[in-house]
Amino acid sequence: MKQLIADFKNGLWKENPIIVLVIGMCPTLAVTNTAVNGLAMGLATSFVLISSEIVISLIKKLIPNDVRIPSYILIIATFVTFTDYFLKAFFPDIAASLSLFIPLIVVNCLILGRQEAFASKNPVHRSIADAVGMGLGFTWVLVALSIFRELLGMGSVFGIQLLGSWYQPMIIMILPAGAFISLGILIGVMNVISSREG
Amino acid sequence: MNKNIGKLVMTLTIIGIISALSLAFVYEWTTPYIEKHAAKARESGIFEVVPEAESYEEVTKNGIKFYEGYKSGQRVGVALIEEGPGFQGMIKLMVGANPANGEIYGIKILEHEETPGLGANITTDSYKSNFEGKPFGEYDVIKRETSDPYQVEAIAGATISSEKVTRIVEDAVDKIQNAYGGGN
Amino acid sequence: MEEFTQILLLFFSTVLVNNFILVQFLGICPFLGVSSQVETSFSMGLAVTFVMTLTAAATWLINTFILEALNLPFLQYVSFIIVIASLVQFVEMFIKKTSPVLYKALGIYLPLITTNCAILGLALQIPLNNYGFIASVVFGFAAGVGFTLAIVLMAGLRENLEFGDVPKALRGVPITLIIAGLMAMAFMGFSGMISG
Repeated sequence: MKQLIADFKNGLWKENPIIVLVIGMCPTLAVTNTAVNGLAMGLATSFVLISSEIVISLIKKLIPNDVRIPSYILIIATFVTFTDYFLKAFFPDIAASLSLFIPLIVVNCLILGRQEAFASKNPVHRSIADAVGMGLGFTWVLVALSIFRELLGMGSVFGIQLLGSWYQPMIIMILPAGAFISLGILIGVMNVISSREG
Repeated sequence: MNKNIGKLVMTLTIIGIISALSLAFVYEWTTPYIEKHAAKARESGIFEVVPEAESYEEVTKNGIKFYEGYKSGQRVGVALIEEGPGFQGMIKLMVGANPANGEIYGIKILEHEETPGLGANITTDSYKSNFEGKPFGEYDVIKRETSDPYQVEAIAGATISSEKVTRIVEDAVDKIQNAYGGGN
Repeated sequence: MEEFTQILLLFFSTVLVNNFILVQFLGICPFLGVSSQVETSFSMGLAVTFVMTLTAAATWLINTFILEALNLPFLQYVSFIIVIASLVQFVEMFIKKTSPVLYKALGIYLPLITTNCAILGLALQIPLNNYGFIASVVFGFAAGVGFTLAIVLMAGLRENLEFGDVPKALRGVPITLIIAGLMAMAFMGFSGMISG
């Protein structure tokens, strides 16, 4: 049990995919323009991560080593397609705002990376813990970044207007340039925090 | 070696088949919902741009789909979906017009990827009101307030988006004119 | 002649106005990971451009003759990623045979092109564009050129930074991101350059 908790907590901070491992960057920069988008992307990615880790951990002995990467990618692409159609059918507005970045979950190095590094070598229950931890770690950074960008860029958070009309929004924040800079500052700040702790 | 390749190919093929089959199933399951959403969006668009209409009929003329709005059996207007390049990506909008008096009722932006806070303001009532009551024709986009029916006031800081939308509206109006007459 | 102008415009708008890295956010992982030296960045850019051009051609063909003809849109992601993975495998073998030095220099980054979101991002835009075959291939090529341009520019800036005094917390990824942000802002100046 202790092992499971450790597996889970790993993804949240110590090996946080975005801040520490620096993978899964594309969606991090592109869909964090509003908090709703950041949260939706985080959850969609987590779903694909958890489902693929479960499947791959279950059938890991059946996949010959030489074709493991193409097999993983095929499985991941299948779950992503499922997620895409599911969102389009039941959450069309979110599907429209995330548009091209849902299919890009297929090449999110986080998902493929965890199959390689963890699911292919560990039992199912541990893979689930790892996937949930990593998924949450990914999601919280996305949400934090998008709250930052939405607040400064539009004065709102999750669509709720927080800053009144006195605030002149920094449009740059919701544009690509603002994304790069915000993430750079965020990681810089995190570096300072971890160097003080360790 | 031969046996090995066989196993590799087999594994991928099996995964491929399971994947394709399950996705075909997901597709069948979700497609009705997706189409329902598209139809709903289209419908609310039609009633928005042809305000008098109480029902509508889809008609094809010159290979183009028009939506004729009816009230008490009388045709009160025509709507058309048109798309074209915006400042960023494509803009899809709906134009509602009355060929009887050659005037535009109004427009509704259906899809766009314009810059939030700038070009995205093409969806605001204040920009859309530019097109309400406009006679069929071509319009100039200018950077100040105007009451000239052949002019469109650009959104501050988003001249290009404003122009792109105007072009698309002109194209739509052309098509309506060709199919239904109206205007000069 | 008219068509040629269109293609030329498409080329420039894809390289500058809709730059895959700095405007569309595709290809960030290699952009951050490989851009520390101009030479490796350029080689990476070349490999990516090659794969992108071929991918554009292949996905156009698959989309037109298989996915649309047989009404199988739900196999899009699966088929595109298989094509990309195979192309990258092919490019890897090709480079290994023709230039072992280059192969060693690119190291792990070569197979990583498969997970480069820029390639899949490119593939996904092909069905949406409604371009013909030639225009799509030009589009793929231009996307690669834009990618190479951004990554080489970044490498040049980072090489110069080696001599600068970067605060400890910002060293590595953070400062690269901030530079990328400034570059993205500069590239914003290109938008609206091509009208209509």
